[in-house]
Amino acid sequence: MATHAPPMPRTASRRLNAWLRGRAKPVRAALLGAVAAGGCGGLLLVAQAWALARIVDGVVTRHLGLAAAWPWLWALLGVFAARAVAGVASERLAFAASAGAKQTLRRELHAKLAALGPGYVQGQASGALTALLTDGLDKLDQYYSAYLPQAALAMFIPAALLAFAFPADWVSGLIMLASAPLIPLFMVIVGKGAEQLNQRQWRRLAYMSAHVFDVIEGLTTLKLFNASRTEARLIERMSDSYRHSVMAVLRVAFLSALVLEFFATLSIAMIAVYIGFRLYYGEMAFLPGFYVLLLAPEFYRPLRAMGTQHHARMEAIAAAEQIVALLETPAPARPVAQGKLPAARIRSIRLEGVDFSYRPGQTVLHGIDLTLNRGERVALIGPSGGGKSTLARLLLGLAAPEAGYINVDGVDLRGIDPRDWFARVAWLPQAPTIFHGSIAENLRLAKPDATTAELRAAAETAGAASFIERLPQGYDSLLGEHGQGLSGGEIRRLALARALLKDADLLILDEADASLDAATAAAVTRAVAAKARECAVLVIAHRLESVADADRILVLAGGRIVETGTPAELRAKPGAYAAALAAYGGAA
Amino acid sequence: MNEMLRLLKLLRGEWRWGLAGIGLSAVVSLANTALLGLSGWFIAAMALAGHGGPMIEYFTPAAAIRGLAIIRTVGRYLERLVTHDATFRLLTRLRVWFYTKLEPLAPARLQHYRSGDLLSRLRADIDSLETFYLRVLVPGAAALLAVPLLGAFLAWVSPQAAWVDLAGLALAGVAVPLLTQHLGQRPGAKAVALRGRLSAEITDLTRGFAELTVDRALTRQMTRCEETGDALLGTQRHLAGISATGTALGGLAAQLSLWLVLVLALPLTTNGQIGGPDLAMLGLLVLASFDMVGPLPAAFRALGETQAAARRIFEIVDAEPAVSDPPHPASAPRHFGIQVRDLTLRYGEDRPNVLAGLSFDVPEGACLGIVGPSGAGKTSLLNVLLRFQDFQGGAVEIGGVPIRTMAGETVRGLCAVVAQRAHLFNTSIRENLLIARPDAAEDELRAALRQAALLDEVLAMPEGLETIAGEGGRNLSGGQARRIAIARAILKNAPLLLLDEPTEGLDAHAEQQVIAALAALRRGRTTLLVTHRPQVLRLADNLLSLES
Repeated sequence: MATHAPPMPRTASRRLNAWLRGRAKPVRAALLGAVAAGGCGGLLLVAQAWALARIVDGVVTRHLGLAAAWPWLWALLGVFAARAVAGVASERLAFAASAGAKQTLRRELHAKLAALGPGYVQGQASGALTALLTDGLDKLDQYYSAYLPQAALAMFIPAALLAFAFPADWVSGLIMLASAPLIPLFMVIVGKGAEQLNQRQWRRLAYMSAHVFDVIEGLTTLKLFNASRTEARLIERMSDSYRHSVMAVLRVAFLSALVLEFFATLSIAMIAVYIGFRLYYGEMAFLPGFYVLLLAPEFYRPLRAMGTQHHARMEAIAAAEQIVALLETPAPARPVAQGKLPAARIRSIRLEGVDFSYRPGQTVLHGIDLTLNRGERVALIGPSGGGKSTLARLLLGLAAPEAGYINVDGVDLRGIDPRDWFARVAWLPQAPTIFHGSIAENLRLAKPDATTAELRAAAETAGAASFIERLPQGYDSLLGEHGQGLSGGEIRRLALARALLKDADLLILDEADASLDAATAAAVTRAVAAKARECAVLVIAHRLESVADADRILVLAGGRIVETGTPAELRAKPGAYAAALAAYGGAA
Repeated sequence: MNEMLRLLKLLRGEWRWGLAGIGLSAVVSLANTALLGLSGWFIAAMALAGHGGPMIEYFTPAAAIRGLAIIRTVGRYLERLVTHDATFRLLTRLRVWFYTKLEPLAPARLQHYRSGDLLSRLRADIDSLETFYLRVLVPGAAALLAVPLLGAFLAWVSPQAAWVDLAGLALAGVAVPLLTQHLGQRPGAKAVALRGRLSAEITDLTRGFAELTVDRALTRQMTRCEETGDALLGTQRHLAGISATGTALGGLAAQLSLWLVLVLALPLTTNGQIGGPDLAMLGLLVLASFDMVGPLPAAFRALGETQAAARRIFEIVDAEPAVSDPPHPASAPRHFGIQVRDLTLRYGEDRPNVLAGLSFDVPEGACLGIVGPSGAGKTSLLNVLLRFQDFQGGAVEIGGVPIRTMAGETVRGLCAVVAQRAHLFNTSIRENLLIARPDAAEDELRAALRQAALLDEVLAMPEGLETIAGEGGRNLSGGQARRIAIARAILKNAPLLLLDEPTEGLDAHAEQQVIAALAALRRGRTTLLVTHRPQVLRLADNLLSLES
């Protein structure tokens, strides 16, 4: 029960439909093949009707026996076989078209995301982006494999049948011709009014279903307040009131379908009765009459089938809206790389007057000046929302300063190919991602050629080796979605090992000791201190205990560095750090 | 098939609507077939009459043709209304049934279903049970009703034609769908696995985009997604081929039936056993009869899905509740000290003890801090006190009343809880607070928020108390969510207070605010406080250290 995007204005929906059609160009051959095979199937239907009519006519009006019918019967078998082949070919080609369209589009979306970079991806809800790349692309399947070929066939087959029906009996032909435009007309009406009402109802249903699962997730909480029993009655009431309101809508919505059905069925009845009476008065022969009667239901069949494809089109357009929006997002300009980083280990990284904002007018960082030196462990503290993680992103090269510059051993970071810079930095984010795969694959993320000995050493340093070696498959243990089976502390130690394995010049650890018990936290702190002898380390801390032995502390508040100094200096000074310590009663 | 019987039993309450929908569906498909058959008979008979054959009374058949057209059209409309109405009725029943079955199992028996993955599968399973009637029952039962009636009529005209048609219908409606389902099983399972892998890899790509960029692994991950996507398309191509072949085979079954009926009936017509109009009618009836079994392949696919879903759902709801109430529950105590003597607890007979011989006393109004490494049974102890979890040995009393003699609701009525994971419902802050006391007045809500040090922040939000918490409380910060849980505990105004890692995951500033709110809340209440934060432990009068 999918949720739908709200109905969009006509022009937008037309534009997206045109875009979807344009995307079909690379797979045009397969699509044309699918339509051609389907069209052949339609023509074969005419042949089948003619052969059948000849056989029945021979017996009924000319009293011929089975012997005379055999040639037509054999021909009929041939037609059946050909129809089966045409059907299979049409479906297979239609699938090939949709698969091809999807394949290219997935690659294009990936390339676009790579060009837009992490700055763009960070601003999107990761769930929405995932949904776009999975369900969103899937929603296009039906458009290319069913809607487009069916739309072409819904024009072609009735037209072809009409062309064959007219010479046989022009009056029946006229009845079909007159009723045919009414059907698409009503389909448009169905599409405009009822579909929108329907969508609103489906949204409500999706909301209701979400409510049920919200309640199930919160069952423990409800039980704590002895409120869980009443909730059953609430679910019943909600479902019942939904049924009443949706049935009121459906009674009307199904009416337009009724009218549509009515025209198709009544036309067949009219043709039958009309032919019958003309036969009775000897105004026409049985053969063309029976032949037209066999064609009539087939005439309306593709038109009615189009009604069921309408939904596929709506869904594809809703999905296309988001895909087009992503593809049309302008990628940030990337300056040409001029400088080159020195091959040796980096000695210092300097920020001078750096400003940054995610949105114009909402500056997150103001005039940041700081230097990180090799062999030094610097702690960054301050209230949440103060800009700590943003500063880390700038240092990592995931975002570029708006004003001021970052200088790496005398080279401006803007002039360096980002990939060269990424090779020099390692990062333990606040919420590290554990990738689908084995523990070894996760550790090797940045260094695919790391040896097993190197893996063990990094895991040992990060305090991860003990729990990894306890697992039955050790380093080959598979980690499920979101690192299922690992506790929060284990995930952090694994990610720390990953960062240490990279052997970078700048190591940024965001809350490295969160959710670790005291003993492990102390071991990790010692390991990081040892590592700091070879590179520059920036530790972002949300709690005060872990930074007491840093070489230097920076206090970041409101996007500015408000205090800086050694822990001892800061303790002695009346400032934010001392105030926070006092709030803890000196516990740190 | 057992699951199907149980599922049908669940739907028993709405049998009138259910049967009406099936009946209408059968009527519509019979009317459709009869319309074409009668039309064929009619024009053939009229043609013969026009060419000097036997005269016929033509008003009745002509009127019947129009009548059938109307029955089909109106019947279809009514069928859609009735089957949809029945579906929504069944949906209500299923949800209420599922919820009432699930309620006694929470939380002890549902711990495995916490993760989003399992929950979303549960969701898909319930969805597929909800459409069981519309997608499986109606097309299947309607075909079972309509096909024998048509067969009886055909047998009256020509028994041979009837047998041929029934055989063809069985092929197209049952054998071919079963065959394609069988062929599709292995690639189908492969496609499900590949789809799961693709979705996991794409989640990794979007969630870990920044890390992949920094670690220069972005292209590698994208290629991985593309390769899995291509592999999935390959499997889907295989499945599409099977399904196309199935459709073609179904069509061939219909066409060959028609062909055989013609070959059998032609000699009968020539030697006068059946009339010419009957031949025309037979041909059209056979051709149209296959519309009756047209929806069956989809119904068979849905049946397989529904069976698997029903099996999983029944498995969940069939679990025994972890705790059951005594037949004659004692009433609530008047005093609220806690006495625990020799408490022993394990999760299953062959599992190690989580708690072994634990004894302690908390005098009324005192606060006991509980510390210990993870896995030492701190949360299990709280679950015992809440009657979420039964225990194997020892005694637990509140105010001198053993908790096993009280109903679970009575015990929980005595306790207010602030836990690490308090669920916020996706509704307004006000509604989230009213869960604790549904009749609370506006000033009571505000007082609770003020005491929880949250009032100013809530009033500063544009929507104030009407702010929607979002799915899982995502519109609020972790500290705000925790303080809403505290406000709920304040509103509940219970004599016992259970605190389970109340400041875990909060930053220093938020932790300070929560501690201040808790200090006010614990006054006068018997309190158990589980935490490993030294700042929080200062709230406790005594300490209990658990070891694993």
